[in-house]
Amino acid sequence: MAERVTTPYEGRPAVWDDGAEIPAPLRLHETTAPPAWMDYNDHMSESCFLLAFGDSADAFFRFIGIDEAYRAAGHSLYTSQTHLHHRQEVSLGEPLVMTLQLLDHDRRRLHLYHEMRHGETDALIAMAEQLLVHVDTEAGRSSDMPEDLYEHVAAIRRAHAALPQPAVVGHPIAIRHSK
Amino acid sequence: MRSWSTCCSCSNGTAAMADPADASITPGAPFTAYREPVRAEWLDYNGHLNDASYAIVLSAAHELVLESLGLSAAYRASHQASMFTLETHIRFLAECSAGQILTAATQLVEADTKRLRLHSELYADEVLAATGESLYLHVDTVAGRSAPLPDERQARVDAMLAAHAGLPRPAHLGLGVGTRPAAATGAS
Repeated sequence: MAERVTTPYEGRPAVWDDGAEIPAPLRLHETTAPPAWMDYNDHMSESCFLLAFGDSADAFFRFIGIDEAYRAAGHSLYTSQTHLHHRQEVSLGEPLVMTLQLLDHDRRRLHLYHEMRHGETDALIAMAEQLLVHVDTEAGRSSDMPEDLYEHVAAIRRAHAALPQPAVVGHPIAIRHSK
Repeated sequence: MRSWSTCCSCSNGTAAMADPADASITPGAPFTAYREPVRAEWLDYNGHLNDASYAIVLSAAHELVLESLGLSAAYRASHQASMFTLETHIRFLAECSAGQILTAATQLVEADTKRLRLHSELYADEVLAATGESLYLHVDTVAGRSAPLPDERQARVDAMLAAHAGLPRPAHLGLGVGTRPAAATGAS
């Protein structure tokens, strides 16, 4: 058992390439469902969907410029809200591909949408909508992103502006009664 | 769709310190059987509870509620049916550190013949650390599709609904992600 939660990208420095085309959506993380994520029924446990989306978010952080050095200097992105939608079960060893779309942002908040699809069939397995906040970790409060980080985020938003708004975004949980 | 059952290797399913049957239905009070210290393996590089670990804890708390309703692992084996998670919405409100005691206050906010909607307040040393709301669907695991609850389980669900009817509704129920008091202007 791990001593703590780790991500595959820990220690990898952030690298931003000003000239590079930004994929829409971003596809920064894929994985294979490992034995540790299976429940007694040999299906992926629900909290492990958030581990997978979290790893994709960590790859995104490094893409825009947030790595260990950035955090050590006193700022980070914290998750404010996460809304998970489950569509299909995942079995041991299935290939999972994550995509990430930047829906909106301002100087200190990012609104993200993730999809998890099957690596071979492309079937939609799960989605996650997240609100992240840039924080001053010393002060323990939200703070504006520095200009270079903000420019990276704004460039991604421009690249993602033409993507359709996913249907589940902004919807609350509710029992929707028929008739 | 996803089985709600415990979770990955990070949880061994022994979270229940209290017998959920004893704590099951108290009129005018939320369900509070869950109680567990923060585990070291739930922490991230920063020594704080990882995002996915909040999901583990909320899932464990909700599983105790389902157990008290007779809708947990034993039910799955005896009835070839189970509660599947359709959606979960977590609001992260405070960091949690090793050694803090986690507790949950869970309310059955809505239900029909196939679906349950649970809302939990998660506390770390009695400070509100997160809220979690989940929608569960009753599934016939042989047929592979949703099915109505058996009458006896429906009666338990209805009893909990009635017991929780007088509890205050959380202010953020019915609000999606990003639907919140406006702050700075969006840039896009």
